[in-house]
Amino acid sequence: MSLYLAGTFGTKEAALQAIKELKASGYGPQDLTVFSDEPVEFPRGVLDRPSHMSLAVVSGAAVFFLLVVSFVYFTQYDYKLVTGGMPIFSFWPTAVVFFEMTMLGAILTTFGWFIWESGLLRRDKSVPVPAVEPEAICLRIRCVPEQLETIAAALENAGARNVGKLAQAL
Amino acid sequence: MAPAAIPYHQVRDDLWRPLAGASKRYTLTLVLLSAIALWGLIAWGYQIRVGIGVAGIRRPVFWGFYLVDFVFWIGISHAGTLISAILRLTDADWRKPVTRAAEAITVFALMIGGLFPLIHLGRVWLFYWLFPYPNSRLLWPNFRSPLMWDVTAISTYLTGSVIFLYLPLIPDVAQLSEHAKGWRLRLYKVLALGWTGSDREWHALERAMKLMAGIILAVAVSVHSVVAWDFAMAIAPMWHSTIFAPYFVVGAIFSGLAGLILALTIVRKTMRLESYLTPHHFGNLAKLLLLMSLLWLYFTFAEHLTVWYGNEPKEMSVFGARVRGRFSPEFWAMVVVNFVVPFVLLGIRRLRSIRTATIASIGVLVGMWLERYLIIVPTLSMPRLSAAWGRYSPSWVEISITVATFAAMAALYLVFSKLFPIVSVWEFEPHAQEEE
Repeated sequence: MSLYLAGTFGTKEAALQAIKELKASGYGPQDLTVFSDEPVEFPRGVLDRPSHMSLAVVSGAAVFFLLVVSFVYFTQYDYKLVTGGMPIFSFWPTAVVFFEMTMLGAILTTFGWFIWESGLLRRDKSVPVPAVEPEAICLRIRCVPEQLETIAAALENAGARNVGKLAQAL
Repeated sequence: MAPAAIPYHQVRDDLWRPLAGASKRYTLTLVLLSAIALWGLIAWGYQIRVGIGVAGIRRPVFWGFYLVDFVFWIGISHAGTLISAILRLTDADWRKPVTRAAEAITVFALMIGGLFPLIHLGRVWLFYWLFPYPNSRLLWPNFRSPLMWDVTAISTYLTGSVIFLYLPLIPDVAQLSEHAKGWRLRLYKVLALGWTGSDREWHALERAMKLMAGIILAVAVSVHSVVAWDFAMAIAPMWHSTIFAPYFVVGAIFSGLAGLILALTIVRKTMRLESYLTPHHFGNLAKLLLLMSLLWLYFTFAEHLTVWYGNEPKEMSVFGARVRGRFSPEFWAMVVVNFVVPFVLLGIRRLRSIRTATIASIGVLVGMWLERYLIIVPTLSMPRLSAAWGRYSPSWVEISITVATFAAMAALYLVFSKLFPIVSVWEFEPHAQEEE
């Protein structure tokens, strides 16, 4: 069974030191979560969160592009306008519609992927979330009960103001 | 800059303070603005009941105030998205107190601007014919029509702008939900989507904002280009121009900036945000406004010089009416408020201040409205067949609706600023960030 321990830090440097020590003890980014009221970025390789958002957005845009081109193409052939001998379907006069719908695809995918990647709306409610004081950085660690004291000591050594076990929701 | 030196807890207190309670002056202003907006709705209702004939638009001027307002408000909407997106992409630090105020302008201006094609339709209950939906009359929209391009462009821009405003609002509403009560608590909790402030969430938010900034820039440019093509695709005198799209985009950013400076001045004064919206911010925005004024002059000159040099009789009729004929007072007034006033007030360093930037902005807003009027009305008044020439004078219905939209814009902005911090709180981070 996993337990959750949290340490509160006043500075980014102290939190960084704690993360480095915990990583050296075998804890990976999946076990560590940093909470703060504002974004806190660490150097590359410390707590990386790989992202496929850019790829997803390009794919979403491409899907919308194909959908709208097919839609316009088939509807113009199924519901023919009188064009006086001009082509029923012509790409360039409809390019604006294609562009806008492609961008709409990119926008909606960005939002959808943000919701997915951030974990919002699919958060495991049993995992406790520490209360973060303004201007503080809180580090949550998932660990096994036997490691509890070792981790608490590591957090305190790094300069944590408060270290405590987080109560899990049932 | 002052904001960086203010402790985070004080930033939060200062920016949350305007959300608490409503002063008598605030309530009175909101009631007055709502009453004017309601009058506009009544006028629109009257037009729906009696018919589009109650407006001043009649042959040959079929586009009047409604289309002028449409182009004007879509232009104002460029305040937020373009400015905020450019500043976000370039990591300009001074943008922080400016972006949310700008993004909110975009959403509200688009909502108002998007109404005008519906008002202009007359038979507004048939607006859904613009959307492709299966029906038994073999009725499908013509995707090749620039008016159909408008529908897709504005829908995409509005969707993107709402998301662009909403994403950076999430951390703020999550913090607010910890302190709010009653209906505000419920509202903030729903909007916060369960935000906890974890590094996963912050990473995803920052990536999404960077991507959105890039996407929305392209969409914003395309939207005003499409609005320009509504005109340029018609072979009408002084409309059929290849530079119309960039000319409109420049004009949109110009008027958007002016709208933003005016909004920020009011917000700064009424919410006592002098420590956050400093002369430094206004100075930067004023320089941008001056730059856009020069660009606008360049495009206006290029457009008119080409027509004058070409000396094509039909184009020269419209040109003459604008520059030295019956539209010349509006034309020269436009040149004065769009170029002379900003050039003097903002170009001379000693004169540049928050007050002069605000005065110049008010002038630019008037000037850009006049510019749209001068693009639309003279050309339609003087079509290629001189026997079909006519005049246009707006009716009380059009004037009421126009005035009401300004009141509605202000009212929406007032309500927004009471519900959400008008300056993003979390962006004043106390922890220094790593360089990429």
